[in-house]
This record gives sequence, C-alpha cells and structure tokens, in this order.
Amino acid sequence: MALRHLPLSLAIAVAVLLAPYGAQLIGGDSMVGTLVTMMIFAIVVVSYRLLAMTGEFSLAHVVIMGVGAYASALAAKQLGIPLWLSIPLGGLVAALVALILAFPLFRMKGFYFLIGSFAAGEAIRLSWIRFRDPFGGTRGISLIPGFDLTLPGLGRLDFFDPINAYFMITAVTAVALFLMYRIERSRIGLTLNAIHWKDLLAESVGVNLWRYRTLALVLASFFAGIAGALFAHNLSTINPRIFSIHAMLLVLVWVIVGGTRTFWGPIIGLIALTVVDQVLRLYIDLPPEWRPAIFGIILILAVMFLPQGLESLPGKIRGWLGSRRPPPGMDVRTAE
Amino acid sequence: MTALTRRRLLQSSAAGAAGLTIAGASLPRPAAAADKVLKIGFLAPLTGEVAAWGLPGLNGCNIWADEVNAAGGIEIGGDTYTVEFVPYDNEYSPDRALAGARKLVLEDEVKFIMMLGGDTWPAVQPFANANGMLVSTLLPSDLSPDTPSLIAPTEVHPIYNVTGVQWLAENFPDAKRVAICAQEDSLGRPSVATYQAAFKVHGMEMVDEIFFDPATTDFAPIMTRMLASNPDVLCLDTAYADFVNLLMEQAFLQGFGGKIISCTFDNYPQVIEKTSVEFVEGTIFQFPDFDDPALEGRVTFTDSQKFWNTYQERFPNTWSAVSWEYASIMSLWVDAAKAAGSVEPGPVLQAMKASPTGQHAFGPAVWWGEELFGINNALVGDWPVVVMNSEGRARIAEFKSIPAWWDAHKETFIETYRAYGEMWDQRA
Repeated sequence: MALRHLPLSLAIAVAVLLAPYGAQLIGGDSMVGTLVTMMIFAIVVVSYRLLAMTGEFSLAHVVIMGVGAYASALAAKQLGIPLWLSIPLGGLVAALVALILAFPLFRMKGFYFLIGSFAAGEAIRLSWIRFRDPFGGTRGISLIPGFDLTLPGLGRLDFFDPINAYFMITAVTAVALFLMYRIERSRIGLTLNAIHWKDLLAESVGVNLWRYRTLALVLASFFAGIAGALFAHNLSTINPRIFSIHAMLLVLVWVIVGGTRTFWGPIIGLIALTVVDQVLRLYIDLPPEWRPAIFGIILILAVMFLPQGLESLPGKIRGWLGSRRPPPGMDVRTAE
Repeated sequence: MTALTRRRLLQSSAAGAAGLTIAGASLPRPAAAADKVLKIGFLAPLTGEVAAWGLPGLNGCNIWADEVNAAGGIEIGGDTYTVEFVPYDNEYSPDRALAGARKLVLEDEVKFIMMLGGDTWPAVQPFANANGMLVSTLLPSDLSPDTPSLIAPTEVHPIYNVTGVQWLAENFPDAKRVAICAQEDSLGRPSVATYQAAFKVHGMEMVDEIFFDPATTDFAPIMTRMLASNPDVLCLDTAYADFVNLLMEQAFLQGFGGKIISCTFDNYPQVIEKTSVEFVEGTIFQFPDFDDPALEGRVTFTDSQKFWNTYQERFPNTWSAVSWEYASIMSLWVDAAKAAGSVEPGPVLQAMKASPTGQHAFGPAVWWGEELFGINNALVGDWPVVVMNSEGRARIAEFKSIPAWWDAHKETFIETYRAYGEMWDQRA
C-alpha cells in the first residue's frame, strides 16, 4: 500500500472502530444492529463486484450467499460443528455450488447469463422449499447456534450485545475485504479486467476465458457464502424468502448506485443507501407506507444524475470546480 | 430547497422537541392525569405485501389507546399509566424484526411486544427468550415448547378455519370437490394443512392443491388450473389480502359459479366493484365487520359498534382482519397486569395463565395447544363464520366452538398436520 494512502487508511480504521459507539449514541442498539448487517453485506457487494469485473452480472449471488448460510447453519445445528469451522465450510460449499453452476452458465453471455443465473438461483431457492428435510421448507431453519466466544480476561462474550457482534463480524469482514482487494490487485484481477473490456483480445494472447470467469465466480461465491454464514449465525434463523430476488435487487441497487469502477464503489453505495433508509425510518415523520416511494425516488434521481455511481461524485465535483477556474496560466487579474 | 444535513436535522429535531414540550405543557390534561407512560411495542409489517395484517392493527391500537388515555389512563399496582404504542415496521423480514425487537426492548423499554409472527418470529425468539420479554403473535403456529414467553391470545390461525368448513358442509352438503391454493410460506402451508384436515372430517375431497410463490403477480394461470379440476368449492386459504382479491377477480372473469371459502376477505368492497354483489354473495370467511349486529354483547374488549364507527371515521377504507385483534390482545394484557399488580413481563404472563380459562375477544376461552404446539399458550374459544350477504356486506352466520371441533376430530387433524410437516416437533 502506498505511503500516501496511510492517513486515509488510518482514518477509515478509526471510523470503523468508533462507528458502533457513534451509532449507539445516535440510534441506540438497533442502529448498531443495522451496522452489523451492513458489515455482512459489505462482503456481499464487494464479492459481487469481483464477479462483475468479468463483465457478467449475476442474479444468483444472494442465493449463493444463502447456500453458505444453509450449509453453515446445518453443519452447526445438525452436526454440532463449531462455528469457526462451519463458517468457512459455508463459504466452501457456496464455492462448490458455483463451480457446478459455472458449466452451464458460462456457455452464456450478457443478458442470457443474467437470465440463466436467475433461473439457477431460483432452482436452488425452490429446492430449499421443496426439500423440507433438511432445509425446513418455507419456515427455513431456526434456533441456529449463535456466536460463542470466550476471551481470556473478558470471559464469555454476549453476542446479543450488538457491539460485540459488530466487532466479531467486522473482523471477518476486514479479512474478507483485504483478501478480495489483494485478488483485484493481483495478476488475476488484471486478467479479469482484461476479460471485461477486451475478451477476444485477451483470448488471442492465451487467456483461458472460461477458466478465469469460473475462477471469479467461485471466488465471489466463496466470500458470499462466508457472508451468508455470518448472517445465519447472527440472526439465528434463515428461510428462502430472505434470499429472494427482492434481496438480490437490493444488492444490485447498492452496487449500481455506488459504482463498479473501483473497489470502494459498492461499499459507498451500501453505506449511502443504508443511511438514507435509516434517516427515512427514524428522523422523517412520515406514514411508514410512504417510505418505499421516497426511497424509490431517491434511487431514480441518483441513477439519473450519477450514472457511474456515487464513486464518480468527487471527480464530477472536481470537474465542476475546474470548469469555473480560469485555464492554467491565465490569472484573473491579468485577464482583467 | 435546502439540503438536509445532520446538523440541520439535529437542530430541527431539537427545535421540534422543544416546541412539542412547550405545546404539551400548555395543553389541557385529563382530570385524573396519569403519572407514568406505559410503552407497548408494535412489531409488525407496516409496509410491503403483508402490511394489510399489520398497519390496520396499529390503527386499531391507537383508537384503543386514545380511549384509554382520554379516560385517565390505566391503574396498575397503584400507578396510573397512559398508554403509548411504539411501532416498528419489520417489513415481514426477520433481520428487521430482530433490529426492531432490540430497539423496542433496549431503547424504548417496552413492557410487551405484539407481533404478527410467522417468518419474523424465529429471529426474535432467542432475543425475547434471553430478555424474558412477553410477546404475542397472531399465528399460534409459531408456538413450541421453546417459546415460553410467546402467547397467541386472540387469533388462533389457522385452526379457526375448521369452523368455516364445518358451516359449509352443514349448509351445502352437495359441495364436495375443493380446489385450494396458497402462497408457499409459513402462513399458507399450515393453513392448507388445516383446511385439508377439515375437508377430510366433513367428507370433502381436495381435487387440486397449488402452492404459488409469494412473489406471484399474475393469478390467471393459477385460477385456470384450479377451475380445470372442476371444483364445487374454491378455497383461497390464507392467501395475502391482495392475493385473495386478485384470485376472486380471476374466478369472476373465468366464470366460476360455485362456493368460495377463504380465511380472510379484506377490502371486499373493492372486489365487489370489480365483480358484482351476486358473485361475492355466499363467500365464506372468518373475520367480521364490527358493525355486525351479531357481535352485540359478544365482543368482550370494546363496544364493537363504537370501535367500528371510530375506525371508519379515522381510517376509512383500511379495515382488515386484524384491525381489532391487536387492541383485543391489549385488553387481555391490561386485565392480567391489573391482576398481577405489575407491568413487568414475567408477572403479567403468570397472571394471564393463572387460570386454565381466560376471556377471549368473543367470550370465554381456554388456554390450549399442547397437543398441537407442545405448549398451552393459545387462547381458544368460539370463532365466527362470516358470509357475504345479498347486500354485499359481511355478516356473521354463526359462532362455532373450536375446542368442541378439536375434541371430536383431533386425531384426523394431527395426522394431517403431521403429513404436511407442520407439527412443532417437525420444524427445523
């Protein structure tokens, strides 16, 4: 990491560490709970971008997250596997399912891939409904073992306290985001970008498109599975409705509103829209049935005026300010 | 227009709070002013596809609270309380429900939480158990031995549906073939199992059974398939309020002329507008309008006619199955709190269940459910069978006893419920 980024990185780290206390001051424990969910979905949106780097947008990502959730929940509840093992197992099962899906899905591109991924996701989701044993049908699985950690000197941590849950989940999220950041900056990331923008050219110089696209899908799914497992153990219950197309559309909105050009774009979208949602919920005194409409209007405006996402906002502001400044070399006083 | 900054937000909030304080201080107060505020959590879907079973209930609660507060509040254990409902929209989503439960318990310090239940309850369950919070649900299918502080004191969904089938069988013995449909979720599935058990008991045959996705928007193919089995009766189960209305429209458009039975029939005037009074006449469901003469002297928690009039005046065109239910639960809770001399969850629950019988919304009832849910936390008594009349109004045809039906037919019911995997010990 370049030294010039150190102050920003330190500021982000301090903000992340102080965030739950600030949230608690502003909105109490429920606001901290919202931060916890946001941390989990930070993994989901960034892993979604990892897949989107190849140029393909999937509608199965939230279902893949659900695969991780179901796998870890069943492993912990039915087999008694400890969470430190069941959570990575959830990620691995999600990655394995993605590997199997890659064979049919990567025979398609663009719009066809989008629809194919939706169909595959629905097939998985419906199988959770149909196979009540072991998936619990429409009710899903409840009483999933929660986080359990005893620290020397601190004793057993209470994860009903959302601040403890926040730090536990933030630690996992930080590792996941760091790994995905390194992947993007590695040769794999560069190759995925090349596939996105010039796939035929990349293929002509020996890049195996199928292999790299599959790699992106499997890696993204692994991290989505981890997020799903965290979600399941934090919430203690999962059901097929949680991983429906509605949730997938929300992830898409976060990613699109935030932008996909940089690593941080989806996270910015997630944070911004979560803040909007919380302000509408807690501070604007409106009948609750108005909230979705206002939320929708905000989304439309954001997409209309910032088509490249919120991440493009600083550049736009710089450009706007630049256009008001005199051209380089021309002093206002001399012009007069 | 100026931008809403956090600073501006805090400034305006502070100014608003100050204004309200001044206004509140200068307003006249009831003679016997209450000295404490009793906060009750309302954790239900207020937006989204299930909002019809949340928001109208909050409206009913606010009417109830205004009446209670105008009368000087409630006296419990020597203190007088005004009642305030603290709503939280859970959007019928488990994570929202957990966030809401945390807020209501830890920040608002509510003494009791009312929920719709269903998909949202399992997320709240560990938190409620850990905090010993008393919670009510409208869906006793949430009950199990792991839910000692969850009660179902008003609505015993879907068990009361058996009374509608019983009435149908008694009054239309030739109606034998039934096609049923429901959304595939924790509302629809136990309800289908219940209807199926009742059909078996009363000699009716289920000729088609359709579970559709809750995201369904086009009901024409579903109705076409149901009608293809040539049924005498269409059963719309516990489909969401909007789904029932769309299915009714489709049944009308596709020329169905037999009987229709459903758990709820909310917003039926809108269906009549799109179909006809003649078409909806004879439709059987389970939730009365409160201006029904048959309710006079029957409703235990309020003056039903007055409640109906106030509701129509303040919240026109929003009456639904649940408009009165949460308020009725509150009445039961107040009786228990008075008996306990405390508003704390533990003593109130203890007082509520001190006797094996209790006062249900429609009269005497018993704490029940061990054979079905593994715990006696559902209050069961008589339930009305409602039928659409020739003037396009919902009117109670008869009250029927759920415990009496259960005692006569419980073996068939349990066998069917188990076949659908709905017994408490079959839940994952």
